Amino acid sequence: MTSKLLLYTSIAGLFLSLNVAAQQTSMNSQTSGKIRGARFIPFPNYSGKPYLYDKFLVGEIELTEGTKISNLGLSYSTYRDELIYYNPAISAQIVIDKISLNGFTIHELNGKSRHFRRQYCAEYTHDQSYFEVLSDGALALLAYRKVNLEPCSTYYSKSGLAYAPAFSYFLYSREKGYIPVNQTRNSLLSKFTKSDQKKVKKLLRKNGIVIADEPGFIKAWNLIEEYQIQPIF
Amino acid sequence: MKRIIIVLLLFWVNVGQAQEKEHIALFTDRDIYTSGETILFNVIVPSGEGSAMININLINTRGKIVCSVNKKISNDQANGFIYLPDSMKTGTYLLCSSTRDNPALTVKELFICNRFAGLIETTTVLRAKDITPFVEKPVIEPKIEGISKSYKVREKVKTTLRLPANFLTNIKDHLFVAVVESTPGYNSQTFYMTNVRKNQDIFEKEGIVVEGFVKDSSTDTPFNKGCIFLSVPDSIPWLDYLITGEDGYFHFQLKDYYGEVPVVVQGFDPAKKKLLKISLNQTDSIKEGVPAYESQAIPMDIQKSIGNSIEATTMRKIFNCQEISIINPQLKKRHEYPFYGVPTETVHPALFIDLPDFNEISRELLPGVKFRAFNRIPTLNILNPTTLNYFNDAPLVLLNGIPVQDLNVIKNMGSKDIDRIEICRRERFYGDLDFQGVVAIYSSKQANMFLPESDELIKLNLDAIQPDCSLNIPREHIQNEPDLRKVLLWQPEVKPAESIKLDFETSDIKGHYKITVRGINLDGEVIYTEQTFEVN
Repeated sequence: MTSKLLLYTSIAGLFLSLNVAAQQTSMNSQTSGKIRGARFIPFPNYSGKPYLYDKFLVGEIELTEGTKISNLGLSYSTYRDELIYYNPAISAQIVIDKISLNGFTIHELNGKSRHFRRQYCAEYTHDQSYFEVLSDGALALLAYRKVNLEPCSTYYSKSGLAYAPAFSYFLYSREKGYIPVNQTRNSLLSKFTKSDQKKVKKLLRKNGIVIADEPGFIKAWNLIEEYQIQPIF
Repeated sequence: MKRIIIVLLLFWVNVGQAQEKEHIALFTDRDIYTSGETILFNVIVPSGEGSAMININLINTRGKIVCSVNKKISNDQANGFIYLPDSMKTGTYLLCSSTRDNPALTVKELFICNRFAGLIETTTVLRAKDITPFVEKPVIEPKIEGISKSYKVREKVKTTLRLPANFLTNIKDHLFVAVVESTPGYNSQTFYMTNVRKNQDIFEKEGIVVEGFVKDSSTDTPFNKGCIFLSVPDSIPWLDYLITGEDGYFHFQLKDYYGEVPVVVQGFDPAKKKLLKISLNQTDSIKEGVPAYESQAIPMDIQKSIGNSIEATTMRKIFNCQEISIINPQLKKRHEYPFYGVPTETVHPALFIDLPDFNEISRELLPGVKFRAFNRIPTLNILNPTTLNYFNDAPLVLLNGIPVQDLNVIKNMGSKDIDRIEICRRERFYGDLDFQGVVAIYSSKQANMFLPESDELIKLNLDAIQPDCSLNIPREHIQNEPDLRKVLLWQPEVKPAESIKLDFETSDIKGHYKITVRGINLDGEVIYTEQTFEVN
């Protein structure tokens, strides 16, 4: 009885798989959402890291028309604020046109994902820039992962130039815009009224949060968001 | 043995599922028209329809397409119109509705009379015979209250459609309500025919499909790995491409394009850099011939009614009374910038002294662009700003957004022919295509002037999605202006309720009218009720 059941199930499965295969063949002939960009020109080799990661990682992009394309080899150039993808079909590294993207997500090898979205910031970056979304809500906590090429000691770099991180953090509201904030306790507190500052201090103390690094800063902001304490814009 | 029977049964079930598909229901406002009028149609598709588009073709008795319309299906319905040109001959025509998913065509016979020739051409009508008729189920539950047997011209009519609770629970989606002029003694037939399906795996899910085959021009065999370009010249031009398989088949879907869209299709061999022969699939639905016909004489009273109808249409034309208004769809900005990228330089030759040809323009006005025509073989190269050497390959050259392979086309274009030239000096990528720079020429003159149509370059004025329309009903009458409406009410999507008010006003046309209420019940049957009245 079991063998008969197995036989019938496998026949039914065969019919199903034939149908699916027929559909897939027809879909292969057209690719939707074509990526537009220009050839990537490598940067001069100085000390420091001009990229977010040293190698290409798997990620996905979202085009302005809403199409999502996944399983792309992506690398984010923090120096030029550009997203580079590797096209294996033509063996080319391509800088994706910034205006063609809504954002992108890079999946780290440890399973974590980092999401960046393109936003216009007239006050600080004066252009369309990729901001990493550290915390998303009515008020988002964004990081602008900028790396600058700066003069440095020749002991550090022979050429006297090195890529130095100059990350900036912002609280962002769609209606009110950006508030720059430093990754310190005092800077975060300064964005609230006197009475709210007390509440924030108490909240951080009770939850044992120390703002010493980026994870602590994000944790603190998420807690403030949870208790709906509004900063001053 | 038992196993074989079961396998055969499973196969039969699988095939049966594909074949037993419900039919499309097709309705028009009237059965007899004159040229210059507009056919209003309503189509109800079975739920679970795979295609998002329906194709309506008006064909003559020999199967030739006279008009073609593509409509988007929404809530299993599509409502549209077909304008009947004055060039149409008097006779029987077939209105065919089809989707790429449904194996059957639903066809409705219509009699169309040329308003200039009248019935001089013919006094007989061809009727299809040996057909599979479309069956509607009459129902008695919906009651149209407050309707009299006769009304005067321009009289306001207030009626109520009452739907009992058991009817409401049995009805699916919306109801269709129409009040139109009728011709007693003439009922056109609606029937089914076999749809010659094109490619069952490709449904029009996002927009209309442009499909065809690419062949090698020299051997006339299907071309493998041919690059097919579909260009839509626009203020911001768009280009789509795909690489063909071994069968040389290609298809594109034009998403959210409305009205008439100019499209250019070209095939290109990326290895040998030569053009390929393109053949597009035609959209005529009835390829396997038309039904057999029998001739019937048109009775005198119908001939008289057609004569009156012609006069009414002519008067409408004189007074410029439009039957319908087009509802323009809300269009969102399709593209932020051209597919070839944001240009690095834009040059307007009109701002400079007149230059006779493109050679002079490139020398004098275009930075980093080298155009030469030695030995009558023009070449074009772009200076790579990074290496400061010219790219090895020619850039992508576009004329009004259409890729140009033969540079002789642009060779003689002078300042007077060119509005602006956009240049991308970096190496650009579009999907898997690599362009070593881009030169996009925009001309106020139609690109058709410079790009002749051939087997390798096909130009189409594609009937994309038809926008919606609404029936024009005059709110207040202008003195001495006749009201010659034959359709008094046309509401294709009425939400079912216990009581629905149907208010309309009769026109100046005297004759017989009918109120029709249609719907689909939960069993998928088309149900209807009708009531007639007269205008004296």
